[in-house]
Amino acid sequence: MATEHHGTTETTEAPQGHEGGGGLPQLQFEHWGGQIVWLLLIFAVLYVVLSKGLLPRVSGAIDERGAKIAGDIADARRMKDEAEAQARAAAAEVAEARAKAQKTAADAKAKAAAEAAERQAKEEAVLAEKLAAAEASIQTARDQALSQVRVVAEDTASAIVEKLTGKAASAAELKSALA
Amino acid sequence: MADPMHQFQISKIVELPTVTVPGLGAIDLSITNSVAAMMSAALLVIGFYAVAARRAVVPGRLQSVGEMLYGLVDGLAESIIGHDGKKYLPFIFTLFAFVLFMNMQGMFLVFTATSQLAVTLTLGLMVILTVVAVGFAKNGLKFFKLFAPSGVPPVLYILLVPIEILSFLIRPITLGLRLFGNMLGGHVVLKIFAGFVIALGGLGILGWAGAALALTSVVALTALEFMVAFLQAFVFAVLACVYINDVVHLDSH
Repeated sequence: MATEHHGTTETTEAPQGHEGGGGLPQLQFEHWGGQIVWLLLIFAVLYVVLSKGLLPRVSGAIDERGAKIAGDIADARRMKDEAEAQARAAAAEVAEARAKAQKTAADAKAKAAAEAAERQAKEEAVLAEKLAAAEASIQTARDQALSQVRVVAEDTASAIVEKLTGKAASAAELKSALA
Repeated sequence: MADPMHQFQISKIVELPTVTVPGLGAIDLSITNSVAAMMSAALLVIGFYAVAARRAVVPGRLQSVGEMLYGLVDGLAESIIGHDGKKYLPFIFTLFAFVLFMNMQGMFLVFTATSQLAVTLTLGLMVILTVVAVGFAKNGLKFFKLFAPSGVPPVLYILLVPIEILSFLIRPITLGLRLFGNMLGGHVVLKIFAGFVIALGGLGILGWAGAALALTSVVALTALEFMVAFLQAFVFAVLACVYINDVVHLDSH
């Protein structure tokens, strides 16, 4: 492939091809020995420097980073767990405190309600007593009034009988008439 | 128009003596532009990771990129090779980082070391030799079971074993050629299209339209080449993992 191109420029570049005469410069075998010897030497040096010195450091850095990242993640996970446990404890405390407060409030409410009911009952009892006394006095007053009405009626009836008949009616007659 | 192949030309920067190794011949140890590119890529990798390996818990940008690349190769080795992957991670990562930095360096500088066949073939050979060494170290002579997969009718072995051996032997070549071809092709195409911009620009109004088109292509191709530079390094690492896995888990093969 390459030789075709070379052919077109051979005339102008004739002085360049002082060796090999138009072939690939890579096929000038007199240069092979030196290149091979130097290549082996350079490769050996490079291999020793890389494998003994530099590559362990590179892999060490990579491993170190991996270990550090893994450690950091483990730390973070542990801290997260701790924080979650603390949050759970705090939530439990809050719930307990709330329950206590609710209990206290309910107790106070019940006590107040009981006191109020007691007071009300006492008051009601006093009032009922007064009412009963009042009713009794009204009853006696009415009974009294009613008994006087009979007397007045008897008197009136005897007076009316006396006026009409001219003689007084007997008490027994009055009583049966008014009954 | 400049020669699109000129960018691959090896040139010497520092002359060093040639060493003659018996049986191999003369080896010129001069520091060439290719060697310099490899050195600077390796230094860049080291410099980059010296900064990236600061071990800060909260990483900066460079450290993030460095750890991302490491994590990429780590995940690759882990998913392909399994638990044993950690043992081979430094080798695979060195391959990946080195190839990646050579590729990327080629996107910014003139010379791309991974566009040299000598370099990519050597890297491929290194992978396969490592595979062979690991295979023998882990399995002993059972290593040769790699070429005789279980669960096959015995008659098929006549056909299968040579194919397996061939495919194993061809691995370093395909490894090397894949990387080499991608880098070579990409850089040649970039150079040619960039050359069109200059050549067409001198042809008047119509030429300018063509030059604009070529310039647009160069921009798009550059983006593509960045992707290829990364992808080829990645593919190289993936294949190294796959080949190593073959011999690490030979029993389940």
